[in-house]
Amino acid sequence: MAFLNRAEGMFRKLARFLPFILAVAQAEGASPSEYEVKAAFIHNFAKFVQWPMSSGSNTLRLCIVGDNPFANALEVIRDQAIDGKHWEFQFLRTPQNLDRCQVAFISVSETGKLNAIVESLGGKPVLTIGDGEGFAERGLIINFYLENQKVRFEINPNAARRAGLAISSQLLKLARIVTVGEER
Amino acid sequence: MKKTRALQALHVSILSLSFASLAEPVRGEEEAQTRGEAQPGQNDPKALTLLSLEQLMDVQVISVARKPQKLAESAAAIHVISQEDIRRSGMSSIPELLRLAPGINVAQFDGNKWAISSRGFNEVFSSNLLVLVDGRTVYSPIFSGVYWDVQDFPLEDIERIEVIRGPGGTLWGANAVNGVINIITKRAKDTQGGLLTAGVGNIEQDTELLRYGGKLGESAHYRVYAKHFDRSHYDRAGDNKPNDAWNQTRSGFRLDWEPSGPDSVSLQGDTYAGTSGENINIPLLSSPYSRTLNDDVKVSGGYLRARWQRTLSAGSDLSLQFYYDHTDRKPATLEESRDTYDLDFQHRFPWWGRHELIWGLGYRLTQDETIAHTFSTSFNPASKALNLYSVFVQDESRWMGDRVRFIIGSKVEHNDFTGFQFQPNARLLWKPAEAHTLWASASRAVRTPSRGETAVRLATSPFQNQGMTFLPVVFGNPGFRSETLLAYEFGYRSEPFKNLSVDAAAFYHDYDHLNTTEAGNPYLESTPAPAHFVIPLRIENKSSARVYGIELEANWRLNGNWRLSGSYTLLQMHFRIDPASTDTASLARSGDSPQQQWQFHSYFDLPHHLNLDAALYYVDRLSNQQTLAYTRIDLRLGWQPVKDLELSLAGRNLLDGSHREFGSNLVQVGSEVPRSLYAKLSWHF
Repeated sequence: MAFLNRAEGMFRKLARFLPFILAVAQAEGASPSEYEVKAAFIHNFAKFVQWPMSSGSNTLRLCIVGDNPFANALEVIRDQAIDGKHWEFQFLRTPQNLDRCQVAFISVSETGKLNAIVESLGGKPVLTIGDGEGFAERGLIINFYLENQKVRFEINPNAARRAGLAISSQLLKLARIVTVGEER
Repeated sequence: MKKTRALQALHVSILSLSFASLAEPVRGEEEAQTRGEAQPGQNDPKALTLLSLEQLMDVQVISVARKPQKLAESAAAIHVISQEDIRRSGMSSIPELLRLAPGINVAQFDGNKWAISSRGFNEVFSSNLLVLVDGRTVYSPIFSGVYWDVQDFPLEDIERIEVIRGPGGTLWGANAVNGVINIITKRAKDTQGGLLTAGVGNIEQDTELLRYGGKLGESAHYRVYAKHFDRSHYDRAGDNKPNDAWNQTRSGFRLDWEPSGPDSVSLQGDTYAGTSGENINIPLLSSPYSRTLNDDVKVSGGYLRARWQRTLSAGSDLSLQFYYDHTDRKPATLEESRDTYDLDFQHRFPWWGRHELIWGLGYRLTQDETIAHTFSTSFNPASKALNLYSVFVQDESRWMGDRVRFIIGSKVEHNDFTGFQFQPNARLLWKPAEAHTLWASASRAVRTPSRGETAVRLATSPFQNQGMTFLPVVFGNPGFRSETLLAYEFGYRSEPFKNLSVDAAAFYHDYDHLNTTEAGNPYLESTPAPAHFVIPLRIENKSSARVYGIELEANWRLNGNWRLSGSYTLLQMHFRIDPASTDTASLARSGDSPQQQWQFHSYFDLPHHLNLDAALYYVDRLSNQQTLAYTRIDLRLGWQPVKDLELSLAGRNLLDGSHREFGSNLVQVGSEVPRSLYAKLSWHF
């Protein structure tokens, strides 16, 4: 019983400090969001990956498959160019016609369909990226994960080889490498 | 008086930290400015693309308090203690770390023993919580419980601790009645290089750890370590000086090898030796009928575990694990030595479109030898080998575009005491909207008899009546049944705002065939002399209980430097005894666990690579353990002056000079937990 009285006093004191605490929360807006950083990474990945002879179009198509976690974060890379090619974004609710994308980001909402997506893309030159647990082991080429509040990524070189994409060693050495057995 | 001042000090520090954060730049910003580059931020997000890959990897992000995929989609009441939580807790032993999980009741009994349980039924040998380390069970069948004093491997080697409240019988087997604690250690490739830690404090008088990890060729990694600690005794209100000091030396290794793409092999082992002191009461057949003994229990043991895992294709894998475990304990009353051999196989594969099946087989042989040194405690038979066979199968299916998951399965075991045991369960998970999850489950779990319950003879202090000596003796019952549980749980998980996540679980547990001790007719016994009457207390299954409660947890990341978390647990227990039972003491068992517990944590990153972490705990009184409610405050200050060096100072139980967390039992005498200070140095080389 005595403790309840002490707790009440403590909560009242903390309530007085609450405006300060909230002010701090507002002021600290300078750290970028997770998906802004991931968008910047995707832009960088495209610089270090080589697609086989392309049709000569000057767009780099990034398809987001499933729920879109990026929201406005893609604005970070919208007008940036790589070798004269500009980004074009497509938001797909279902994984159809993914071979028309150079880069496909598979959202965690598609976890259940991941095996089917990987199978249907077998051999096609699409850089598949995700940020779900075990996505690289399941066949995506690049998978994001978080470590100590920083964005990291893992690469499945076998998957890249199957897609006919060449990944620069500069990118490989910064990644965690995921090795999985070859499909029979 | 002391308490009010301490709380005031806490308020002042919260306030000054708020100002500090406004006044000084955040660590990341500071570094970027000294490098003379544009600071990426919401003001100029496009500047992010100007950073190189290496620079991008250094950027700290605010993300919603997002749990790993596995956690967010679990149809169970689960909490994961991460390595970061461990490092910043300021705690130096595994049992203490379990306080961080909501719904887990951790009561320190003395300097080296804990009573730890989930959802009630707490006691020093808490029988309803299964504890595993990398898939190896550390739950001893002798008294159905965990010897926490020998689970002391380096905290720095722990990847995470998964704490699952509620029955886990289907996947984990018998004795996972109220919960499962799964301690997972890091892979060898994540502990490369050297690590030296040294600590000193008023209780942890000295602690040292030396660890080294390296590579063997291209596809194998290893680590080896050695550690030692010496901890002083605690305090006790009462006459006897406590004898609960604790020291141990331990060393071990881990080797991970990937011989080819789909295969991975892991080998690990530990060996330890030390002393765990205690004070025990030994009955005597003549006046004064009981004496307290200072017992320096020598403990030693080790294990070896081998695991092979093969990925067959995307989403399909199998694993085979074998371990051998040896434990040796030498208390003054009864020595125990145990060898355990365990073989476990699991196979997981997708089938029938939207389903994933996981099934497995297991065999365990555990054999013990006990040697009694006093008339008061013995086992009959003194030695026994127990075989355990198990098979389980579980199917998981996804529906409605991954919004609904249904899991159904069962484990079937055969043990030498109670034959076949079935532990089925069904779970349903539904995501009505992004960032909202509802789950529900119904399960059956069993707690199989311990060696003690079937074979012990334990005498307690005799009393005189009309010139005759009466000696109460607890007798094990070879016909003891398994305790059973039917559990119904449901939960809700959500991220209502960016950076805030909440987790709620409610449960209703229906227990039956709970253990009781039934008094029988006294009889005369002449050895050992003098002749006395034995009052037999036979262990039976004549009780049942209804337990229900809720567990709430919230995590709030205020900004890049400050994270708060808290939890609240409510527990209501109602025990009943069968009409034929005489064990009215069983009705008071609801007083062995606290009705309410809550905790609050603040993790604050200060400039100049400082961390200030604070924790506040409240645990309700234990009416059946003569233990009052207590409030605990822990503080930790960590500093990383250079990249590979960390210094920290932690204060635990700062509010109280000493307090009791659990009562003494028939044999062991408990102590009071004191205030403690601990300074630690950690150097990676």
